[in-house]
Amino acid sequence: MTRTEHAVFHCESCDQDTLHDLHYAGRLLESTRCTRCGRVIKVAQRALLPAYVHDLEQRIASKPRRMLRRARRDPVGYALLLPRAVLRQPGKFLREFWSLVRRP
Amino acid sequence: MLAGGDGQRAGHDTNKVLVPLAGRRVFTWSIRWAREFPRVTHTVLVVREPDIPTVRQTLEREVDGPEVLVVTGGDSRHGSEWAALQALAGPIEGGEIDVVVIHDAARPLASSRLFYDVIDAAARHGGAIPVLEQHGLTTLAHRLQDDSDEAASVADGAVVAVQTPQAFLAGPLLRAYRQAAADGFVGTDTASCIERYTDLPVRCVPGDARNVKITFPEDLFVAERLLAKVDYDLSEHPREGHHRLASLRRSLRRAESG
Repeated sequence: MTRTEHAVFHCESCDQDTLHDLHYAGRLLESTRCTRCGRVIKVAQRALLPAYVHDLEQRIASKPRRMLRRARRDPVGYALLLPRAVLRQPGKFLREFWSLVRRP
Repeated sequence: MLAGGDGQRAGHDTNKVLVPLAGRRVFTWSIRWAREFPRVTHTVLVVREPDIPTVRQTLEREVDGPEVLVVTGGDSRHGSEWAALQALAGPIEGGEIDVVVIHDAARPLASSRLFYDVIDAAARHGGAIPVLEQHGLTTLAHRLQDDSDEAASVADGAVVAVQTPQAFLAGPLLRAYRQAAADGFVGTDTASCIERYTDLPVRCVPGDARNVKITFPEDLFVAERLLAKVDYDLSEHPREGHHRLASLRRSLRRAESG
């Protein structure tokens, strides 16, 4: 499961600030692409999987604190959304992992 | 906290401080480390007008209280600093704020320790900037040096890179920016305005090599790995934090009485 964000960074090839596409796998930055020159920076596959596992550990460890923060902010809304969110987690992790394994 | 960023193009949110970094947006990491100490009482975030909705949503989601005051920045760094200081003018003049710390939100790995060090040095001397000795960027002026002082750890004439956070006594800083506004002076950074309008000594504290400024796309990868390496925690060790907090309180009391 990947998502794309956009932001202006300084491109070394273009030597100017250009719009970049940023591709994330879960929370991890997987690759960036300069929309002007097409220069791609990509994490090697062998580095990405261990990084994903380490990141996953941190996500799990910090989950209770994040859940508490959301519950404090909107207890009723959070309680209503929680069952669906819990059910979606396994599929979400599987899709993330699969996208890492199958990345081109 | 300066989060004006560089670009708004094609209707997208293209400010680099708004992109995700290890589960949070870049700029909220900075807020997190800065507010690790209870003495940090007010937080002002300077952003561009089009970023305000995204920034507010992100703050709601990622940052616990106390509330972060969001203000619109100027056309330059100096203008953004002036906007932040105007927002803080009341508490500064009311004596609620002793030291103002100015930080670039594109430096998400400035540790709580670094924030502490500049606040401590500013409370004792008037102003403090973190520097890293290296080739390029700028030459350290003689008057920033004092071998007898632990805060000054860079050799005279050394070439250094200047980082943020930078801290200054609040009253003189506000007066300097007021005078600069009256004169139409636009400084390149906070220290340049302080040097022009006050005689406050600006001291150097050791910077941190991890304190990268997100400029190139590569920097995001580096920041992500550095955060993972420290287990996503750049806060102070509690015991050391308490010891240092007591020291900071003494410094601030001395600054207030002096």
